[in-house]
Amino acid sequence: MKLALKGAILAFVCATFAVQAQEKVIRVGVLMPISGPGSYFGVMGKEGIDLALEQLKGGVNGYHLQVQYEDSACSPLQATNAVKRVLDQFRPHIVIGEECSDASLAIAPILEQAKVPQLNAGSVTMKLTESGYRYVFRIFPNAAQQSLPLAKVAYDRLGARTAVILYEKTNAGNDNADGFEKPFVAMGGKVLAKIDFGRDVNDFTAIATRIASLGRVDVLPTFALEGQQVRLAQALAQAKVVRGGGGNAVQMGSIWLPYGFDQKAGQAAEGYVRIVQFDPNEKRRIVQDFIRAFRAKYGADKVPTHINSHAYDTILLIAEAVRRGATDSESIRERFSGFKGVEVTTGRISFDPKGQNSDLSVVHFVETQKDLSWKGLDW
Amino acid sequence: MSARRIYFVVSILVLAALPWLIATPYWRGILVLCAMNVLLALSLNLVIGYTGQLNLGQSAFFGIGAYVSTILVKSYGWNFWLAAVAAVGAAGLLGLALAAFAVRLRGHYLAIASLGFAVITYQVLVNWENVTQGVRGIYGIMPPFSHPAALFYLVAGIAVLVYVLIDNLVRSPVGDSLRAIREDEVSAASLGINRALWKAFAFCVGAAIAGLAGCFYPGFVGTLVPDAFNIVESFTMMAMVIVGGMGTMIGPVLGAIVLTFLPELLRGFGELRLMIYGIALTLVVLFMPGGMVQAWMALRARLR
Repeated sequence: MKLALKGAILAFVCATFAVQAQEKVIRVGVLMPISGPGSYFGVMGKEGIDLALEQLKGGVNGYHLQVQYEDSACSPLQATNAVKRVLDQFRPHIVIGEECSDASLAIAPILEQAKVPQLNAGSVTMKLTESGYRYVFRIFPNAAQQSLPLAKVAYDRLGARTAVILYEKTNAGNDNADGFEKPFVAMGGKVLAKIDFGRDVNDFTAIATRIASLGRVDVLPTFALEGQQVRLAQALAQAKVVRGGGGNAVQMGSIWLPYGFDQKAGQAAEGYVRIVQFDPNEKRRIVQDFIRAFRAKYGADKVPTHINSHAYDTILLIAEAVRRGATDSESIRERFSGFKGVEVTTGRISFDPKGQNSDLSVVHFVETQKDLSWKGLDW
Repeated sequence: MSARRIYFVVSILVLAALPWLIATPYWRGILVLCAMNVLLALSLNLVIGYTGQLNLGQSAFFGIGAYVSTILVKSYGWNFWLAAVAAVGAAGLLGLALAAFAVRLRGHYLAIASLGFAVITYQVLVNWENVTQGVRGIYGIMPPFSHPAALFYLVAGIAVLVYVLIDNLVRSPVGDSLRAIREDEVSAASLGINRALWKAFAFCVGAAIAGLAGCFYPGFVGTLVPDAFNIVESFTMMAMVIVGGMGTMIGPVLGAIVLTFLPELLRGFGELRLMIYGIALTLVVLFMPGGMVQAWMALRARLR
């Protein structure tokens, strides 16, 4: 009996070690702003990642994805500390993040030195993929990819000849503003004013009044976080500058704005034209499946935003790399480099040699209607 | 050997051992940050704690030190140490410039003036793009030593040196003059103490030390953006001084250590981290207005 018991214990111990030896894990560090003005990125990003992880519970190619979240607060110092902590304590094979350009730029050299790929889904600054980093990959369209189409649509489709550019004074805001101004002026348009503001500005009445005094303004390309965009749209409507307030100017925005902005801004958002990458109305099966799963998990009345879907896509892409045989940081980097037309909810991913997604096939324009719904524009 | 000396020697030994006891790059990095914060807390304590001048603009001098040293190294190819000397000088001079107004002001008025100085400095860093690169920032900044342990020894060594210098200063007749101004400016003047001179001295030295701390920040982070020096940083420095114990030498050191490590140790609490941090700070201010030093002294008195 004793012998049998000892045998059973030995068998149990061996089996436990065997299971542990077989358990293969891909560790994913996630750096997101969970505090500060960009905290909504972190909340929505976590929703998207958690959903994707739930769907991949069974593992990929025998590997489980294990995630550790860190609050990097959109700040270079916080992001630097967070990425060092995650590298030390979690030893990730890949890091997702950050959302804000300054923080993304701060962690890029650290991850490059550690030879850990950085998968970015929210920063627009050109420098991130133009600085020669081998381990940086970005699925979010950069400033040039967003602002050039905005300028073309403004000039060609909307017939705009005058513009006032409104932007937050950050790397991302500056790059977007420059990205609009140069092609718009080259086409023959005139920029009446470029107005920047800090992220701490809450009252835009003075800016709206100044714009109202500038004479005829055709378009107002705007680059800021959602909270400021809401207040800006309302101030511009109150000053009767934009269509939502009975004026003539069309406010234009980039992919920064999440779905749901229109409901927050109310009638001021009517006539707002913007470029989008993730559109809940899109008929592709992967998009509709994602929306169904998202509603099942988070509530039937919730519509996912581009932040939810971009974060969801980052996990899909890592899973795809693992499916293609990636087992560590280096092989994830190699598989990413070879991605061509990988389908995710925000379109298709093809990384160019600099690590920037170059496939913009699903990027399109929408206009906010009177009932605050989106009308897809065939541009 | 006196008890003070024994404490001092033990502290030096602990400092020397720390990078070997804490071997991970992340925690070694936090040690460097902590040493920088000790310098900042000491600099502000000289102005607020010993001279009684409510200065809310200390982040400006920290930023001036960081930008002057980085620009001289990156744009003009200066040696780091020469650039650091220039940065300390620049911060000290601007401290004197602020003092020119500060000597005429007291209490709330001085607080508002120094806050204004911090805001102006921040706006200059943001908008003088030809020189500072504005919000686009400066990237790829290398520290004077790439090894975190070496960088820690450097910054901590300077912090110890500054501590010793200020400690000797406040024990000298100069310290008596500063404390007299803190307690009552009119009485101090009636004793023949030149208020303007000593207030300007405190502002200048405090600013220079903050500028010195600023020299190490860009190399540590690798990135320099104006947001690192907004006025919230001034309040963080003030919290270090208050939580530790204003007007004491060891208090700001303890405050800097606690307020550097606490947010990092709370990272495990995720979204609750900042809430716990805020509650802890509020409780300290409510129940220990004299900071950790006062709490320790009260505890010791009770134990006796």
